[in-house]
Amino acid sequence: MTDVLATRAMDATGASYFDGDVPQPREVTLALTQGQSLLEITLDDGQVVEWPLTEVRALPDISGRAQYVLRWTGDPLARLVSPNPFLLSALPQATRRAPPKGRGRLIKWAFAAVAAVALQIFVLVPLLADNMAKFIPVDGEKALGEATFGHIREALDDTGLSPIEVCTSEVGTTALNKLVAKLSGDRAFRQDVTIAVLDHEMVNAFALPGGYVVLFRGLIEAADGPDEVAAVVAHEIGHVNSRDPTRHALRSAGSIGVLGLLFGDFAGGAAVLFLTERLIAAQYSQAAETAADEFAHEALEDAGISPAALGRMFENLQGEHGDRSGVAAHFLTHPAMGDRIRAARAAVDPDAAYGPSMPDEDWAALQNICK
Amino acid sequence: MTDRSSNAGPWGTPPTAPTTPIAAKAPGWMKVEFVGSRWALFWLALKTGFLTVITLGIYRFWMKTRLRRWYWSAIRPGGHPMEYVGDPIEKLLGFFIAVVILTFYIGIVNLLLMFVSFSVFNSSWVGYLASFAGVIPLWFYARYRARRYVLGRTRWRGVRFGLEKGAWGYAWRALVHWAITICTLGVLWPRMTFWLEKYRTDRTFFGSARLTQAGHWTMLYRGAVPIGVSLALTVVLTVWIIWLAPVFPQTTFAELVSEGWDGLFDEDAELQALADPERLWLFVFCILGLMYGAVHYRWAAKRILANYKTAPGITFHSDVKPPRIAVIYVLGVFLSYLVLTVAILAVILIGAAMLGFDSFLAWFGLGGISAVGDWPRWVAVVLMGMLYLSAFLLWGVLYNTFVTFPIMRHMALTTRLPDYHGLDHISQRARDDFAEAEGFAEALDLGAAI
Repeated sequence: MTDVLATRAMDATGASYFDGDVPQPREVTLALTQGQSLLEITLDDGQVVEWPLTEVRALPDISGRAQYVLRWTGDPLARLVSPNPFLLSALPQATRRAPPKGRGRLIKWAFAAVAAVALQIFVLVPLLADNMAKFIPVDGEKALGEATFGHIREALDDTGLSPIEVCTSEVGTTALNKLVAKLSGDRAFRQDVTIAVLDHEMVNAFALPGGYVVLFRGLIEAADGPDEVAAVVAHEIGHVNSRDPTRHALRSAGSIGVLGLLFGDFAGGAAVLFLTERLIAAQYSQAAETAADEFAHEALEDAGISPAALGRMFENLQGEHGDRSGVAAHFLTHPAMGDRIRAARAAVDPDAAYGPSMPDEDWAALQNICK
Repeated sequence: MTDRSSNAGPWGTPPTAPTTPIAAKAPGWMKVEFVGSRWALFWLALKTGFLTVITLGIYRFWMKTRLRRWYWSAIRPGGHPMEYVGDPIEKLLGFFIAVVILTFYIGIVNLLLMFVSFSVFNSSWVGYLASFAGVIPLWFYARYRARRYVLGRTRWRGVRFGLEKGAWGYAWRALVHWAITICTLGVLWPRMTFWLEKYRTDRTFFGSARLTQAGHWTMLYRGAVPIGVSLALTVVLTVWIIWLAPVFPQTTFAELVSEGWDGLFDEDAELQALADPERLWLFVFCILGLMYGAVHYRWAAKRILANYKTAPGITFHSDVKPPRIAVIYVLGVFLSYLVLTVAILAVILIGAAMLGFDSFLAWFGLGGISAVGDWPRWVAVVLMGMLYLSAFLLWGVLYNTFVTFPIMRHMALTTRLPDYHGLDHISQRARDDFAEAEGFAEALDLGAAI
């Protein structure tokens, strides 16, 4: 600060004061007094307003450099608009932020929001979805599965032009249907199992509501023989039988809106992508996986196929892709993989005579289903 | 007031530098200045946008506040800046409150609707439709509340603006007006525009002074002339091409509807039999006409309505030029896309150079679903999310720079107050203190614009 300022002189051309009551600019004379600790604003009618210099703030994010707007923390409404650059440089704390108000309230509501969303996604929606899954009619479930299948096919498409193809070679399809019939035996499912192969190199398989079992071409290519494919199909039929996919799809339908709400403008699309991914890499509960495994062991045993094939498929995938956890997500990311392999081996009846799940020509047809 | 018709015609004089004629024509009128450069705004938007990406979207409440502060202070009626005093913390709080309330509605209700839709109708679209329809009243409600919040946090010359309560009244009126508009195939649209604007304006205050929307809804038809003409031309063209001199001579209109376009192009023979198919290009002009007509109506209606707004002792005069606005939209959107495309290409090239091209494609080609590579999966997901957010925000920054900024400037510079002696009688109004700020609008994605 210079001595000029200390002797009260300040050029105030163009400064206007608004008293916070009437929308009329008042011409003012500005001065710094009391050893430059006080800003003295003398209005056109002689009235004097005093602002302690340390409590004067400049409004942030003002456009243009020609003027700035000052306020005093002791008066929320009054404003001083000035083009005088010296005044601004004389303010010791012009840019200091106001202390945040209502922080406790904000934190309370933040917790409430997180709790509400958590309650919704982890408790209410699953509870409701699990109950709904029991009551949804067969046709409705089928429609839900078809819709979900469509979304997944579109989401997996790289080109963005058309959904990825379903492989429909006639002999291959026949071989698959024979396999499903063999695995089903004389069990009466709630609905027929519809099986499809998607022309995609992902090593994966999943089940959808309405009895859909979907294999990826990559899984058939990675399998060491027909029994391993049969084991995977049996596992997925196990999910279908316990309606895991239906519950899962309904949960997604409930969660999708909530996530869209949270992420706001940014990520309606990202939320959808995220949930589609969740559907494919369906992480069912440990109990659901174990139940599907047990179903598979039993179905394989009844069909005269060694239940050890399921374990071999797991081992096979772990050996080939173990370090790439993303690929066979459904099978490999599960923490208890070793247990599942051991369980499959334990399900083998040492006295039984197991045969292949399908004749060689059917296996060849299945391997070429996408050609 | 009598001067209005001479320079406010919809197709008035071609755009000229706005400041000179105002000064020449109306020395006594209060002018609105616009201060601030496009670059300053660009950097502010870019800076705050970057912080928003870094904070995974939390900073967007600060970004919005700071951008509004900037825009408001740029608009200076009588040389004195408007002031935006909204607080980011209260916006965040409002968002939390809205999430708590809406999460149950959206989650549970959507799930029930989906269940019913699949159980009863065997398809999803009934559910989507119902869940969309259920949000519409909320949407109007949220818009009114958001406007009330913004006006309640706007000051000029130290005096607050304000909007009275009445969000549900607005919501049901809007629903009825929309129903009437849809039932009359859009003919009564100006009636809706007028009455909804009147509802809002008549509840708007500056300090102690209440604003009034005068005039009659039929006056808005002047602004609807371009879209009316475009619609008429489209209908005439359609009649000409389908019935009078059909482009597809062998196909009747009924067949066209029942078989669709696919059936039409199945056989090569029919393709050859087209009569002057180049006439179909005329539809492009019709669509351009319709688009311009929509922009013209929106802004001409704003202008006409502004000219009929008053407060005691205060009148407004707007000279907004719809063609100018249309040019801003076209140029601005084009420029924004251009810069966005260049930026995205640069990111892809840099990313490819750093990661190696194959793994880069493998990573992002599958849209994050299959992360092939040695990096953990969540890294890919987070990076994808960041890229998505960045592109989205860059678009916002560019749109602000090339569209919002010039439109705000044009609006400010074309607005004047012919009579403002009423300012002498205005005093401060009480603070409008409501908890949820614009949380509902934010949560329902209505508040994206400034």
